Amino acid sequence: MTLNSYKFFFILLFLSTSAFCQIDNLKWQKADLSYEKPDNFIPRNYSFESDDPVEFVTKSFTNAYWFFVSDVDGDNCPFRPSCSVFFLDAAKETNIFQASLMFFDRFTRDTNFAKGHYHYPHVRSGYFYDPPQNYTLNQGKINYIPPAFIVDDK
Amino acid sequence: MKYCLIFFFLIPLSTLPQSSFDFHSPENIKKFADHLFCQGDYLRAVEEYESIKNSNLNDTIDFKIMLCYSEIGLYQMSNLSEVRLSKSIFKKEAECLSLKNRFKASPNSFYKISEIKVYPFSKEDRLTLNYFQKLTSVSFLLGSNELISKDEIINPFDGYEKKTMLSFYEMKVNPACKSPALAGVFSAVIPGSGKMYVGEWGDGITALLATSLLAFLAYDNFRADHKTRAWIFTGLGAFFYAGNVYGSIAAAQIFNARINFEFSEGINLFLEQKNYFMPEYDFCN
Repeated sequence: MTLNSYKFFFILLFLSTSAFCQIDNLKWQKADLSYEKPDNFIPRNYSFESDDPVEFVTKSFTNAYWFFVSDVDGDNCPFRPSCSVFFLDAAKETNIFQASLMFFDRFTRDTNFAKGHYHYPHVRSGYFYDPPQNYTLNQGKINYIPPAFIVDDK
Repeated sequence: MKYCLIFFFLIPLSTLPQSSFDFHSPENIKKFADHLFCQGDYLRAVEEYESIKNSNLNDTIDFKIMLCYSEIGLYQMSNLSEVRLSKSIFKKEAECLSLKNRFKASPNSFYKISEIKVYPFSKEDRLTLNYFQKLTSVSFLLGSNELISKDEIINPFDGYEKKTMLSFYEMKVNPACKSPALAGVFSAVIPGSGKMYVGEWGDGITALLATSLLAFLAYDNFRADHKTRAWIFTGLGAFFYAGNVYGSIAAAQIFNARINFEFSEGINLFLEQKNYFMPEYDFCN
């Protein structure tokens, strides 16, 4: 065998090696990880979009709550939906009077100094899941979810 | 060099020859289907079984088809096999499996079959009748608001099953529920006590402190003739008070929903553990 034959043989060998190369090694490359806490802040929408007087009142109350409580307090509401969104959802689900009662009850539970939130399920981002549908006093609407469950909040 | 190259190309050709083995013969499809069945891949196993049904059908395959459909939740499809198995050695098993399918399709209303007294099996067969009575008892516990007597519920069972069914019966008759009205009244009398009644002590104490504090601030400001502040605290206190009464009623309802959930989950877990009172069929060893 001449030198060229050896070269040809090795080229053939290397070609087959490269054709069946391990592509799994892509999995082991460096990952771009971030250890920063995700920012869950949702930009406030203070605008009044509806002509409905009830929605005007609820939105006014919510805007005032955002301005005087939420923005001062920071991201401290342990629940999802947050208290202000809970009030808006409750008003859509029931009426403004019932929604107000639901809100004050929620606010009391939010300020629970013992932090006894062990009986709520979580959403993926770690907050406690507490939808207004469970508080309409309509037994049929209650969707009980055990605390061990993770709820997809989307 | 020439020989070397020829040798180099011939080796892979000889190591990967075109096999004349017929992978798609009914016997091999059955072997593959059996393998999938034993792996628990019922969806693909039933596809394979169905493909050889016309050429290689026997009672075992038909019963396995029935089992596969039952496992993947296609209960009506599963029960189609029952007719074909009515004259086979799997007759009793097929009848029981068919009852299990009916139960799983509508566990809360399965007991209605016993009310209309049209039984989907021969009543002379004591084993199937006992199986039917077991499922009917469980269905009564799950779905019926008017319970039948304790004896009727627990009589079809023996030993450990009887004990467990007795405890489920007691839970159904005397559930550990809380009265929403009572919770509301408690909170109306002493703010927060309704929440404490349903076991939410932290919420109850917080409500008591918040309402008391606002009531004191309102009283103090009225006394000092600071009317505007006094009315603000009065309004806030009234809302906290009313919200707490409302929340106590809601909390009792949620508590009861939890009790009902745990009751039905407990029965479901028991049924899963007992394989719905069906024997385990070992087709894999």
